[in-house]
Amino acid sequence: MTATAPATKRADAVLTAIIRNGVLAVTEEMKTNLMRTAYNMIIYEALDFTVGLFTPVGDTVSIGLGLPMFIRGMSQTVKAKIAHFGVDAMREGDIYITNDSYLTGSHLNHFTLTMPVFHRGVLAGFTCCMAHWQDVGGNLGGVTTDIYSEGIQIPIMKVQKEGVMNDDLVDIIKMNVRIPERAMGDLRAQITAVKSGERRYKELLDRYGREETLDAIARIMDQSEARARELTRSIPDGVYTAEAFMDDDGVDIGQRVPIKVTISIAGDEATIDLREVSKQVRGYFNSGPTTGYACAEVAYKCITSPTDYPINQGSFRSLKVLLTPGTVISAVRPAAMRQWMTYPMTIVDSLFKALAPAISDRVIAGHHADLMTINMWGIHPKDGRFYFGNFGPLGGGWGAKKTEDGMSATVCLNDGDTHNSPMEQSESKNPVIVRQVALRDDSGGAGRWRGGLGIHRIIEARAPITVNTQIDRQHCAPWGLEGGRDALGNKVNLRISGKLIDDLPNSKVFTRKLEIGDQIHHLSGGGGGFGPPAEREAERVAFDVAEGYVSREQAEKAYGVVIDAQGKVDLQATQARRAAMGKAT
Amino acid sequence: MSNTSGVQSKSGARLAADIGGTFTDVAAFREGTGELLYGKALSTPQKLVEGISQGVDKAGATFAEADIFLHGSTIAINTMLERSGARTALIVTKGFRDIYEIGRINRPDAYNLYFRKHRPLVQRSLRFEVVERLTAEGDVDTELDEATVNAVCDQLVALDIEAVGIMLLHSYRNNEHERRVKAIVQQRLPHAFVSASHELSQEYREFERCSTVVANAYIGPKVSSYVAGIDDHIARNGFEGSFLLVQSSGGLYESAQAKQHCIRMLESGPAAGVIGARALCHVLGMTEAIAFDMGGTTAKAGVIHNGDALTTGAALVGGYNEALPVQISMIDIFEVGTGGGSIARLDAGGGLCVGPVSAGASPGPACYGLGGEEPTVTDANLILGRLDPRRFLGGEMQLDLAAAQRAMTKRVGEPLGLSLIAAAEGVLRIAATTMSYAVKGVSTERGLDAAAFPLIAYGGAGPLHACAVAREIGTSMVIIPQSPGHFCAFGMLFSDLRYDYVRTAPMRLADASFDEIETLYEGMIAEGMAALAGSGIANAQATTSRAADMRYVGQEHSVTIDLPAEVFASQDRGAIKKHFDDVHLQRYGTCAPNEPGEIVSLRATVSGLMKKPDLSPIASGAAAPPEAARLPSRDVYFTELGKAVSTPIFMRERLLSGNRIEGPALVEEHASTTVVLPGDHLEVDRFGNLMIEIGRSH
Repeated sequence: MTATAPATKRADAVLTAIIRNGVLAVTEEMKTNLMRTAYNMIIYEALDFTVGLFTPVGDTVSIGLGLPMFIRGMSQTVKAKIAHFGVDAMREGDIYITNDSYLTGSHLNHFTLTMPVFHRGVLAGFTCCMAHWQDVGGNLGGVTTDIYSEGIQIPIMKVQKEGVMNDDLVDIIKMNVRIPERAMGDLRAQITAVKSGERRYKELLDRYGREETLDAIARIMDQSEARARELTRSIPDGVYTAEAFMDDDGVDIGQRVPIKVTISIAGDEATIDLREVSKQVRGYFNSGPTTGYACAEVAYKCITSPTDYPINQGSFRSLKVLLTPGTVISAVRPAAMRQWMTYPMTIVDSLFKALAPAISDRVIAGHHADLMTINMWGIHPKDGRFYFGNFGPLGGGWGAKKTEDGMSATVCLNDGDTHNSPMEQSESKNPVIVRQVALRDDSGGAGRWRGGLGIHRIIEARAPITVNTQIDRQHCAPWGLEGGRDALGNKVNLRISGKLIDDLPNSKVFTRKLEIGDQIHHLSGGGGGFGPPAEREAERVAFDVAEGYVSREQAEKAYGVVIDAQGKVDLQATQARRAAMGKAT
Repeated sequence: MSNTSGVQSKSGARLAADIGGTFTDVAAFREGTGELLYGKALSTPQKLVEGISQGVDKAGATFAEADIFLHGSTIAINTMLERSGARTALIVTKGFRDIYEIGRINRPDAYNLYFRKHRPLVQRSLRFEVVERLTAEGDVDTELDEATVNAVCDQLVALDIEAVGIMLLHSYRNNEHERRVKAIVQQRLPHAFVSASHELSQEYREFERCSTVVANAYIGPKVSSYVAGIDDHIARNGFEGSFLLVQSSGGLYESAQAKQHCIRMLESGPAAGVIGARALCHVLGMTEAIAFDMGGTTAKAGVIHNGDALTTGAALVGGYNEALPVQISMIDIFEVGTGGGSIARLDAGGGLCVGPVSAGASPGPACYGLGGEEPTVTDANLILGRLDPRRFLGGEMQLDLAAAQRAMTKRVGEPLGLSLIAAAEGVLRIAATTMSYAVKGVSTERGLDAAAFPLIAYGGAGPLHACAVAREIGTSMVIIPQSPGHFCAFGMLFSDLRYDYVRTAPMRLADASFDEIETLYEGMIAEGMAALAGSGIANAQATTSRAADMRYVGQEHSVTIDLPAEVFASQDRGAIKKHFDDVHLQRYGTCAPNEPGEIVSLRATVSGLMKKPDLSPIASGAAAPPEAARLPSRDVYFTELGKAVSTPIFMRERLLSGNRIEGPALVEEHASTTVVLPGDHLEVDRFGNLMIEIGRSH
């Protein structure tokens, strides 16, 4: 029997179910091992990583999240590594590495490691692991305009050859990053992850047979395909389009970046056309074609197979993606990529907006669509050492749906099981004091169903520090659907020497020095509303006012609900107000 | 009635009652005679106390003869899950009333646009702010403005608030403001249940601490009156001893303490099972084991390592996606949604899955004949001959084999083109692999290899599946204890008094002050000793242990390291670092001896060791089980043989120490059946435990 012989031993329904659980367990264990051994909080707390198991040709069998927007990034790099070395040159104990941005589609911080899994001498698949390294060299703070200022680039190479580490490569990496111990810690964690995946996958192959296991995997993919096709068929045929824009690229302040997306449904197949999004920009908000595909796959999965696990290639067989080189999501060298994750969220949201006329009960109004992170550095007064800190994502409002309100204060679409940093921890590490973390009242878009609320956070310096924050979607507010109102967009304010500065042209504050007592305010946007606000039950509006989610003024102005002094709905005044609103529109 | 054996004076008897969802289990141990008695009664949700009394009666014991009553209950967790707690308010530092609603912002179900966040137990309009602020070092940034506290109290009085949680930032470093706020609230609302976060957790993480104190306040009035009700009830039944409750840590605390720190009894039943497994390990001279508990809706796994149950510092209540965290010391228990009632069905893509949806007790499995139309794990066991339709629950319930067969054929067999037997057998195999991942999960996180651990299986369904699960893990030994259906109550008899403390105190190991460390440990130990003295148990032997949460400088996640007191006495930084490096290596496969380490939190545990029951040996016999233990054989299907074979069946209570049984075989007892698979070898040990070697050829 040779490596290329077709599988002749078949898997029945029971074995398929067992293998389904088995491959999930493989990637869960890889995830556990990576999280627990990683050195930096971006991996452990923010879960900026993804692990996966792949077929011998590089198709996704199971992904352990991780980073939802990296759904395509690993399969693409596994395939590139197969093409680079050729299957015949691959050996047991090899581990392949790269952080090539134009391949992973993301930034240089994302190192991917891939290990071929051989079963009794025959290639049976790959394990792969991406993790975000905290520093990979390059400029500290500010906006970059080409890839060369963003850090070290490692092409596809062997970091381990038949079980032996490539120390030359490791030395080069060490000399090019600011905190080599952490980088090495994360590299070790990634090696542990791909190896533990290899071991568990081999156990599965030993226990159930290679051909049977691969056949079961094929069946799992067929089942996912069937489910995705069935749900695609339930979308009316047609061509659906939506537009949005990004505030700017951080270089040409105020220069809008247009987004246009089209999705066509024909029977049980979908085509997502992203060729009309903006050309790549000068600032570092570009991403590679892998992320263009990922935008389409994330949107498609949310609509057709949101809770289908394992996440696998079968779910995307009925999806065709159209991309052209040189856009902000298919950028070419030497485009700057460090903030690759920001624009794609708006592209995915735009796809939901496009589909709203067809399947309003399965999509969602716009969300705040930004990680809302802040970096800070300086000399720590406690020990006189240089430090570099990050508060993690802030969270913001999510859009309302046809049948329910949007969620408040939740991490944006790029991330999934990502946690914020406890303030009590951040304050012990950074010389700052947080003055407020509160829901941002009135930030949710009004509607029959209200959008979720954003957050208003105030950070104050206890020693001179430098801050850097690069937030978009201040001007393109999270949109409502079917008559629902837009939410408040994201915003950044400063308080310098006691004076509030709330008229910054955008929400990008690069390398700004704060003195003791100065503050930076992060206000995340809400989610868009769904349906006309005048149709929201008056009692719900009264409840929102009582709880402080909606102000009395907004209740009256946006919802036409008049609340009396006791907090009760004034029925007569409300009827009159709502009647007047109906005439006005 | 309870005075049947009332002539007995204090015989040193110990009673334990575990209230579960369906049954109340009672175990009684008479020190004088060494008797171990069991009773089982239906839980009565309206009046849980009655279930306890009935269970005690069924066991043939009385409260009057007991000097210790041990209790575990689901009341705390149910009050949280059912949202049937008190009208509760939260008082929090100015600027932060929303941290409880914001939570950790994560979205685990990442592609589901219809995801849900946790739902706070206290709505926004009942969360109040007071002016005060501490820094991360515990220094005062803004003094407590008592006028703002009084203003809040005015509102609480007007709102008829029954319980108040208090959570001020950095109170784990300095609890002065929290204590002052609590004093004012207690004075202004004398009838309210008031709880401050530092009393429950002195660890950083504001959301988790907030959620913990709110949960305690929310369940406080109901749980404390439940405890008081039992107190009254048992006193009226002649009980004059100590009433102790099981905490989630597996340790005991006195009822007066339980009335304040209600949240600590959250997972008392499952914890007691793991403590029972630990006790069994001690008796058998083992230091490592997996405790495997399978019931109607879930399977749970805990780990005994180095002779002790592995613990964790927090739990998530209500499922991961919408969880409310509780930050207290607990036994680390991993759970999957696979139990006897787990339903087998096809998903939208045509794939077969078993669980996590459960038929529950009503309608229950198809074979219960209560209207269930979907096939379950229990139905599969019945179809394959592993359960006797006439002897389920000791014959108290007749099972309908035909209904099970119909459900399995219609919902699984026909759609997938499988025969009835293949479908049932497949359901059991899927269940076994799913459960094996739960067991591996709890051990992998610790860097332990589950295959090297004997599996102690209990719970109603544990013995049915243990040998199959053991094969999936690669374990070579399964132990089925006596009365596996009562094992959690049994475990309580072996618990000790236990008080756990944590203090977050970040410091680099290289410049850590041993004076400061010692002060913190001494404070925690003094508090524990006072609690122990307050428990009223005079003869408990006090012991203390120390641990620290440590990490490498720059790392985010810390690991709890048990540390001997000597390393502190000798101020041996190197030894502390070595302990940390070793544990890191064991758990994660890597360590970095040359990189600096830091301490995040210090932990101390004060235990009051109680005298344990001595298990008495059962009668011994020959290798061949006595004829009297045999029941008529029946046909049972085994995957390993690919067919049904006539299988010998034994009555457990008639087996003798030294009896040997080769698989395939079944051992039946009142509330469970042990399946011994072909190739497995069973021997009854001197305490009546079934020791099963897996896959030993003969």
